[in-house]
Amino acid sequence: MDVSLSETQRLIQDSVKAFVESEIPFSRIREVESSGDMDRKLWKELAELGWLGLPLAEEHGGQAGGLADAGVLIEALTRRAVLVPIAESVVAAATLQRHAPTDVAADILPDLANGTSIAVPAVLEQEDSFKTWSIEVGADGTLTGKKYFVDYGGQATHHLVAARSDGEPGLYLVQAQTPAVTTSAVQNIGKVPQAIVTYEGAAATRVCGQDGYEFLVGLGRLLAAIQCVACSQQALDMTVDYVAMRVQFGQPIGTFQAVQHHCANMATHTLASRYLVFEALWRHDRGEADDTQIAVAKTQASRTATEVTMMAHQLHGGMGLVTEYDLHFFSLRGKQAALSWGSSEECLGLVSDTIEEPEQWL
Amino acid sequence: MDYEWDDDILAFQKELRTFCEEFSTDLRAAEDQAGRDLVFKKVHGEMERRGWLRIAWPEEYGGGGKSPFYQFVMVQEFSYAGIPYGGLSVGSIAPALLNHGTDEQKQKFLPGILDGDITFAIGYSEPNAGTDLAALQTRAVKDGDEWVINGQKIWTSEAHVSTHLWLAARTDPTAAKHRGISMFILSMDTPGMTVRPLYTMSGVRTNEVFFEDVRIPADSLIGEQDKGWYTVANALDFERVSLAPTGQLARQFDRTLEYLKEERTEQIADKGTRQRLAELKIDLHVLRALNIVNASIIANRETPTMEASMTKIWSSELRYRLSSMNMDLLGRYGGLRSDDEGLTPVDGQNEQTYRGSPILRFGGGTNEVQRNIIAHRGLGLPR
Repeated sequence: MDVSLSETQRLIQDSVKAFVESEIPFSRIREVESSGDMDRKLWKELAELGWLGLPLAEEHGGQAGGLADAGVLIEALTRRAVLVPIAESVVAAATLQRHAPTDVAADILPDLANGTSIAVPAVLEQEDSFKTWSIEVGADGTLTGKKYFVDYGGQATHHLVAARSDGEPGLYLVQAQTPAVTTSAVQNIGKVPQAIVTYEGAAATRVCGQDGYEFLVGLGRLLAAIQCVACSQQALDMTVDYVAMRVQFGQPIGTFQAVQHHCANMATHTLASRYLVFEALWRHDRGEADDTQIAVAKTQASRTATEVTMMAHQLHGGMGLVTEYDLHFFSLRGKQAALSWGSSEECLGLVSDTIEEPEQWL
Repeated sequence: MDYEWDDDILAFQKELRTFCEEFSTDLRAAEDQAGRDLVFKKVHGEMERRGWLRIAWPEEYGGGGKSPFYQFVMVQEFSYAGIPYGGLSVGSIAPALLNHGTDEQKQKFLPGILDGDITFAIGYSEPNAGTDLAALQTRAVKDGDEWVINGQKIWTSEAHVSTHLWLAARTDPTAAKHRGISMFILSMDTPGMTVRPLYTMSGVRTNEVFFEDVRIPADSLIGEQDKGWYTVANALDFERVSLAPTGQLARQFDRTLEYLKEERTEQIADKGTRQRLAELKIDLHVLRALNIVNASIIANRETPTMEASMTKIWSSELRYRLSSMNMDLLGRYGGLRSDDEGLTPVDGQNEQTYRGSPILRFGGGTNEVQRNIIAHRGLGLPR
C-alpha cells in the first residue's frame, strides 16, 4: 500500500505541466474554443512527444504505461483546459487493446499512438442511458441509427460504438470520416466539441461483447472523474493565489478565517476525491474494481467539481466570472466532466442499487 | 502507487478478526460493567503477550518494529469490533515517554503501562485554556527537591479511575506563553489533589482536578523544563495512524444496514432509503481514503499535516451525520437507548454515538483549528 505517485508518474506530471505552461497560453484555449474544433496542433505535438500511446503496449508504438499513469497525464492536461480528446482516446484505445481481436487491435492501435487516427467511444442514445441503448448491427455488418453526446464525435476518425447484434451487447469499430456517418454539433456547458452522430449503413467491425463494454464504461467514468479532480484542484490553486493577494479592509482576504475555512473544505474534498479516483483506476487496471467502487469515486468527484469550483467563484467575486480571467474554464469543464459518463445522481443510484452487498472497509 | 495490501498485513488482519470475535463473544456474555472491564483487562494482557501493544514501536524501544500499517490495521479491526485497544496510555503517553523520558522514567513507567497496571488521565485543559491551550495557568514551582503544583484542570476524563496524571503546567510565567510550559507525571493519590466529577450527556463521566500545594519529586518532570509544549507536539509517527479509524462508524453502518435488511424489507426496497444509505457509504469511503492516505504518508517516513487534519475533521463530522441518519431511518426505534432492553435495534449504538458525537468535533483540536492548520500549513495562506 503506497498512495504516492511513482517516479514515472511524477515525471509525467512535471513534464506535461512544464510543456503546457510554456507552449499553451490560455489565449490559445480561447481561440480553439471559439473555433468549435479540437486543438489539432496540440494533438500532433502530444503524438510526437509519445503521450498518445502512453497506456498502449510497445508493439503498438506505445509506452506500456498503466491506466493510473494515463490518469496522471489527463489530469495534467485538464489543468490547462486543453480541448483534445485525450480521455476519450485513452478509453477507446485501452478497450481495444484489452478486448479487441488481435488483428483489429494491431491494425488500429499504432495509428492511435502516432495520432494519425482518433478513436472515441459512442455509447449513449436519445434516452441518455448506459443501460438501454438499442442500436443494432444488421446482418450485413452495418450500423444504422443515432448516438448522442459523442465527445469529439465530429473530429474522430473512428467511433467505438455500443451496439447489439441479435440483442447481444457489444462494441463495434466504425470509420467515422465516411459518407455513412454524419455529425451535428451539440453546444454544452463545458464547450467541449460534442456531436449527435447519425450512422446510415456504416460498416462496423466487432470488437468485443459485454465484458469489454463494462470495462469501457468503468474507464470512462474514472477518466471523467479525473477531470473533475483536475478542475477542482486548479480552481482551488487559483483561489488560494487570489485570496492571498486580494486586499480588502486593508489586508489580504486570505487572512480571514471565514475564507480560510472555505479553502480548507475545498482542499479536503479535492484530496479525498483524488485518492478515491486513483485507487479505483489502479484497481480497474487489474480488473479488481467493481461498479460500486467506481460509482462511489465518480459520485464524490462529480460533487467535488461542482462544490469546489462554485466556492472558487464565491471567493473570487466578480473577477472569477470575467472571461478574460481563466477560472471559468475549470468551473464549466468541471461541471461538464461531472455530468459525463454518469452524473452524481446516476452514480449514486448505482451505489444504492447494490447497497445490500457487504463492504470491505480496510 | 500501489493499492494492494501486502500478504502479511492481510494475514495479520485475519488473526485480528479471530481474536476480536473471541473477545466480542466474551463481551456479550458479560453481565455488567465490572464483567466488561474484566474482559477489557484480559484483552489488554493478551495483546501485550502477543506483542501487539507495541507492534509498530521501534525495536530499540522493545517494540515489534513493524510497519505503521500493522498499527493501522490493528486499530481498524479493534475499532470495528468495538473493543478498546490500549487507550491513551499505550497510544500517546508511552510514545511520549519513549521520545522524551529518561532511562529511569522509562523503566519506572513503561512496564506498568504495558501490563495495564499504570493508566493515565491527561491534564491539559483548564477553565480558561481550551483551544488556546498555551494559556494554561496551573503553576509548578521548584522548591528544593520538589515541584509544588497549584491550579485547576478540567475535562480530565478517567482521572477518577487512573493511577497517574500526565500534566502540563506553567514553570516560567515570564516567558512567551508557549515557552514556559513543562510536562509532569504524578500519581493520582498525591496529597492535595481533589477530583470532582462532571457528568456529560454522552453518558461519559469527566472531571475537574484541583491542585493545592501538591508536592511531587523533582524527577517527575518529563523532558526539558519549559519545553513541554514541544514534548506534546512532537508525537511519534506510529501514533498518528490511529487518528480516526473508519472501523466503528463502518460497523454501525453495517449493523444498521443488516437490521434494515432483516427487519424492514419494505423500507430497504425504498429508493429514498437506499440513496440515503448510499450517501453514508460514500462518506465512509471518503473517510477510508483519507485514513489510508494518512497511513501511507507515515509508512513512507513522512509527516502528514494537512492530511491528518482532514481525516480528523471528516471523521468527527461524519459521526453525527451517520448516527443521525441511521436514527432517522429507524424512526422512533432509532431514539431508544441501549438500556431499554428488548425493543432497541442495533444495541442503541446510533443513539449513543449521536449523544457522544460533539466531543470529537471540538476535542483533540477543534475542527476550526484543524481548518486553520489546513489553510496555513497545507495551502500556505497568510496568517
